[in-house]
Amino acid sequence: MSTKKNIKRFASYLSRDNNKAVLSVRSNKVIKNILFYMLIAILFVNLVFPFYWALNSSFKTESQLAMTPATFLPRDPTTNEFSLSLKNYVYVFTNGDFLLGLLNSVIVASTTTILALIFASLAAFALGKLRIPMKTAILYVILSLTMFPQISILSGLYGIMSDLKMPARPAMILVYLLFTQPFTIWVLTNFFKDLPNELLEAAKVDGATFFQIFYKILLPLTVPALITTGLLAFITAWNEYLFALTFTITDKSSQTVPVVIALFSGQTIYNYPFGQVMAAAVIVTIPLLTLVLIFQKRIVDGLTAGAVKG
Amino acid sequence: MKHSKSLNSQNKQEIRTGILFLVPALVLIIVIAFYPFASVIYMSFTDRTFAGARDPKFVGVDNYKRLLSLTIKPIPQKADNTYEQAYTVLPTKPIRYTPLKEFSFLSKRYVLGASDADFYLAMFNTIIFTICAVFFETLFGLTIALILNHKFKGRGFMRMAMLLPWAIPTAVSSRMWEWMFSSSRIGLFNTIGEKLGITNGQFPFLIDTSTQLWAIVAVDVWKTTPFMALLILAGLQLIPAALYEASNVDGANSIQRFIHVTLPLLRKTIAIALTFRILDSMRVFDLFQIVFGNKLYSISSFTYFELIQNKAMGYSAASSMLIFVVLFIIAIGYIKLSGGVKNEH
Repeated sequence: MSTKKNIKRFASYLSRDNNKAVLSVRSNKVIKNILFYMLIAILFVNLVFPFYWALNSSFKTESQLAMTPATFLPRDPTTNEFSLSLKNYVYVFTNGDFLLGLLNSVIVASTTTILALIFASLAAFALGKLRIPMKTAILYVILSLTMFPQISILSGLYGIMSDLKMPARPAMILVYLLFTQPFTIWVLTNFFKDLPNELLEAAKVDGATFFQIFYKILLPLTVPALITTGLLAFITAWNEYLFALTFTITDKSSQTVPVVIALFSGQTIYNYPFGQVMAAAVIVTIPLLTLVLIFQKRIVDGLTAGAVKG
Repeated sequence: MKHSKSLNSQNKQEIRTGILFLVPALVLIIVIAFYPFASVIYMSFTDRTFAGARDPKFVGVDNYKRLLSLTIKPIPQKADNTYEQAYTVLPTKPIRYTPLKEFSFLSKRYVLGASDADFYLAMFNTIIFTICAVFFETLFGLTIALILNHKFKGRGFMRMAMLLPWAIPTAVSSRMWEWMFSSSRIGLFNTIGEKLGITNGQFPFLIDTSTQLWAIVAVDVWKTTPFMALLILAGLQLIPAALYEASNVDGANSIQRFIHVTLPLLRKTIAIALTFRILDSMRVFDLFQIVFGNKLYSISSFTYFELIQNKAMGYSAASSMLIFVVLFIIAIGYIKLSGGVKNEH
């Protein structure tokens, strides 16, 4: 089929109600639907396949991984029968480095999230609801920090942290707080702004202090936004690599999971243990996938808030 | 009068509370961003090394000079019509220059030398990576957003699939793709390539200089296109349906509608998404560091290696200042183009 025809077909399928169809609107619609779902299917496969490949490889033994050509399901090298091995998972779950990394990641990411939400909701309440001077300037500075290249403070922070002999974990938490503050404050400020002012005025008349207004009245109303921004903060901290790698260079016991996986080494230096790495990759991705599964709509709202509102 | 006085004190209290509430976030930002940044600026003018015994000396712009110096020298022709080795004509003092590129101009041969060829190559790689990745991400992102802007069964499921590449840590997905790009048929791409007759099943995607950059562009496109699509989709959904209806009445076809209604209204969303993506890919680190180590640098991984392996803090600081300047110019350009950042609704 010529490209021109293809484009035409694509265009007509894009138009929502193309009433020109004379022959049979219904069969036309069926074809459109089939084409549409084919596109969706292609897209879906492209998105998910690399993860499937990791999953597939994680269930293979060393000798299955070495098979040429690679198989799309774990198969026995001699009989070609389907054969699945849990060896990699057993290895990963009995690997002290990996478990410690998991623990470090949980500690660092959850502390970051909690502190980020406390700091940001206080700041966002002040910026969104209170009449204070230089509000616009402060918001401007905070927003501009989202464009701040992190690498440019790497050597400075590394110098300070080692001068102060600060352990790696608190150092990571501090840095991730910095990374997460701009968007958390930004999204929460917009959310606070949208809450009705009458709530604040009524509480003032009743003699509530500002802290009471914040804590007892407005904060419970911002829970949806807190969940969204909290998730984004958690994922940012969980996935960060550059600073985690740099700060733990002399302190292996503080490495977070991305660093452990990137530096994974097997029994021999010549063979990077891809099977175990893929098992580890699947394991670290699952908590994130679960979060995404439950909160997908909120995450998308949070991710796009800046672009649409900005 | 009593009334206004109490109002006044309430206002004062409001300001006091506001400032108090802002303190934690602002102190954090100042301590973790501005102070280290100031120390990087200062360090970039010193020869500080990490764990060095002696005190750092102030060296002025020496670090910047060593990063940026370029020179062009003609290459003399030998008697047998061949050329001298390029490195022999480049200056060695006070800094040793290494050849970056040889070229001919007006039938004479020249060599372009740099005092730090790695820095220029890193800059070059990063820029090429950024241009290619952002181009494809925008193109695919727009297409996918247009497709997904239809109501269909399984849309929620699709959105979840789109968040998958984004949610996987880049460090982890780098390893996943590295495995798929293996240089024999134990890897996915060589298996498929051989089946389709494109490769001999032994193609070293990540080592061959003609494909290595493309390979990691593919990883980045996979990871970030969905994000781009979601941003554009959010912008698409803000376009009032009435506009489409009006253009329908006017008899516009779908391509006209896309060009005259959709695209102009999406311009702002795309511009914002584009800027953030450019700034983001210019500081790419994980992919380069994990996949290529010190064989192929991005500007960030170059800075990292100078800091951690060469322990040259001052030099690394100068390199990160140069990144900052480049990104700052891009950001300012964006703010100018978009007519300023609006903080109010």
